[in-house]
Amino acid sequence: MSADYARLSSVVLEQCFGKVVQSVAECLFAASTRTLSQIATATNLTRKEAGLALAVLIKFRLVSFKASTGNPFLPEYSLKREDVICLLRYSRYIHLVQTKYGNVGASIAEELLNAGSETANGLLLKCLVNAENKTENAESYRDTFLRMIGDHYIIKMPELTTGDDQDDCVPKFLTNECDFFGPPNIDLQLLAKIRKGEASLADATNSIVWGMNYDRFHQEFRDTVMVDAIERKLGENAAECFRYILKLMYCNTDPWQRRVSNHITFVQLKQAIEKQSNNLDLMKHLDQYITLLADDSLGFLRKVGDMGSGQYVVDLEKSFESLAFACVEAVITERFGSKAARIFRVIRMKKYIEQEDLQKEAMIPSKEAKSLAYNLFQEQFIHVKVIKKPGGGGTGPAKSFYLFQIKSKDTVRMLLDTCFKALYNTIERSNFEKSEHKGLIEKSQRLDSIVEAMKERGESEDYIAEIAETFTPPEVEILNKVKNRIKTLSKAELTLDDTIFLLQMYQHHCTTLPTGITKFK
Amino acid sequence: MVCLACFGNSATRARIKINVRGVYFSVALNNKYNKFEMAGRGRGGKTGTLTAEQLQALGCVGKDMPQVQTAPPPTFPPVLNKPIALETTAVQNYQLLWKEDFLNRMRDSPYYIISASQELQKTELKDWREKAVERLKHKALPEFNYKAMPRELNTTHRKRRGVDAKPKILAKKTNIEDRLKVLEQKELKTSGDNDTDEVKVKQESDSDHEDEDQEDPEAALDDEMDEENDYGNSYFDNGEAYNEEDDNLDDGPVY
Repeated sequence: MSADYARLSSVVLEQCFGKVVQSVAECLFAASTRTLSQIATATNLTRKEAGLALAVLIKFRLVSFKASTGNPFLPEYSLKREDVICLLRYSRYIHLVQTKYGNVGASIAEELLNAGSETANGLLLKCLVNAENKTENAESYRDTFLRMIGDHYIIKMPELTTGDDQDDCVPKFLTNECDFFGPPNIDLQLLAKIRKGEASLADATNSIVWGMNYDRFHQEFRDTVMVDAIERKLGENAAECFRYILKLMYCNTDPWQRRVSNHITFVQLKQAIEKQSNNLDLMKHLDQYITLLADDSLGFLRKVGDMGSGQYVVDLEKSFESLAFACVEAVITERFGSKAARIFRVIRMKKYIEQEDLQKEAMIPSKEAKSLAYNLFQEQFIHVKVIKKPGGGGTGPAKSFYLFQIKSKDTVRMLLDTCFKALYNTIERSNFEKSEHKGLIEKSQRLDSIVEAMKERGESEDYIAEIAETFTPPEVEILNKVKNRIKTLSKAELTLDDTIFLLQMYQHHCTTLPTGITKFK
Repeated sequence: MVCLACFGNSATRARIKINVRGVYFSVALNNKYNKFEMAGRGRGGKTGTLTAEQLQALGCVGKDMPQVQTAPPPTFPPVLNKPIALETTAVQNYQLLWKEDFLNRMRDSPYYIISASQELQKTELKDWREKAVERLKHKALPEFNYKAMPRELNTTHRKRRGVDAKPKILAKKTNIEDRLKVLEQKELKTSGDNDTDEVKVKQESDSDHEDEDQEDPEAALDDEMDEENDYGNSYFDNGEAYNEEDDNLDDGPVY
């Protein structure tokens, strides 16, 4: 975790939970574990405030706790650092649920994200209260909720174990991997009674808490990144074919397996497509599409044998290496121009290359090539390998050779840090714009609400226009500019998050670094 | 010219031969960590910043040499290439609107915590209109499942230390006039019986005294003062005992 990521997570937490939570999280980010007293002392907050901030972070599953090794009655808290960035992806999660399950699913996911974690009854009750004027009934909410659990988008939180006094001080939880997605019993009659006020939520016996399974969403985003890349390069049919390959892959492979998937045979794939697809063109030329995918330089699919008319694996390592470096090249093109990107490609292709050979291979004039290579080196996109050869008989001065090379992991890490820094800057700038023009924004909001109320009351158009004119043209112009700037910054946030996600996938599949990505979160 | 040839005779370790200007180097490649280690003498040095000598070897001579940076770069340097404008899609618009809505909801939610000092600063800065709006807004109470959290975080039902040990005696609120009448009657009664049995009265008065202790508010307060409490009344010194005893300090050391 870099300093840039620390700053980013701090500002993200401040946006969502305020300054107190931000300072507690900053304190936890700096250490592996801390006790409540240590947090209160380090942050200059009262014990009550620090405790409240920790309760919020635990509810939103951003802090975990365990008993101290020295004192089993003393809890120690630690921040789940890699989960903080998920707060920025909530809008993407909601959009995915909206496209898959419609408005009902979106409202369930929304309530769950707003609450952090919630019991099934509590969650459905909130949804039903919010949807009082809509046509959806309680059954549709329950069915969608159960479908979302079945598809692993919602996960059961570990159950509380009741025991001795120590458990009371530091609660312990029972994790059962086989029961993460067991459907709960939801009593609709009880829900109806609670809504009428004839019963209370405490009467519900089911106290299991549910939360969003973030990595299931990330799995979906990863698939989309791969399928979209194939669609752009090889067309729609190839993309559809690859979608079926991924479906088959998940039947026998852990979705977060790092390097390659388990084997998939051509026959299996053909049967699956014939059963589920209506695409005649794909069925007719399936063998050709498979060959196309396997021969493509992206390297998403690799042939490993001839069993079952051809045995294939999905090469996640190669595919994310290709995608991440396509991204790095795009960044270099935008920052230094296409010639620099060519130099980068030549170095990557040759692995080690001298300066003189570089300018010849890239076909760029020597002065320009030197300048571009130096710029790339200065910005840490490329690195230098020094090889020394001792002089004759070991007595003379050592002769050194300097070769350009690309340390792929370092380059990606550097770019990831740059993205974190850019995202932090974007959020800070957006906050600055909002605070700088706070008065103007609030005035426009007040005016909008007044105009709306007047329209509801049925006031005359002239009178409404007169009121609206209190907002002078220069003010309108400034406000529009500010709004546009904030919108551009928000769009940049989304785009940056896409890049961060891609680079994080590279780190998961192409390195052995701990990424915190698991099947169940 | 560089050429690479891999002679992998084991799964984890392999050797690579690099040919630089006709000189062959043998480099060991450790697959596990993807690190290159030089074979034999002459290991590769640091690959951080380059010295002038190294830059010359790389081909940067004279004017080509980049200037040494001694000051930090400018905070907002001019952008050499203007970045391309981002396209706005319907999906992005949906996400932007939802995100803005979510952040507003979170700001109004009970989970957005503002410390007491920050709250005070905020209210000082606000004008009367904002304060009125704030008063209208009632934040819902946060819902925490304290059973699933460490006990120390539960600030709502915290037991005070010593509450179970000994409940404090509180002064009862009584009607003073009624109380005076009762005391008067008692006095009369005791004066009548005084001649008959003096010893009995003494016993009764002792027992009455116990009752009074429980009923009389002043007595109850006195009792409270006598008990050891947080204010340490038992350590009160009225100064009368000053210089009465010297705690044998003048006696000199005792051997």
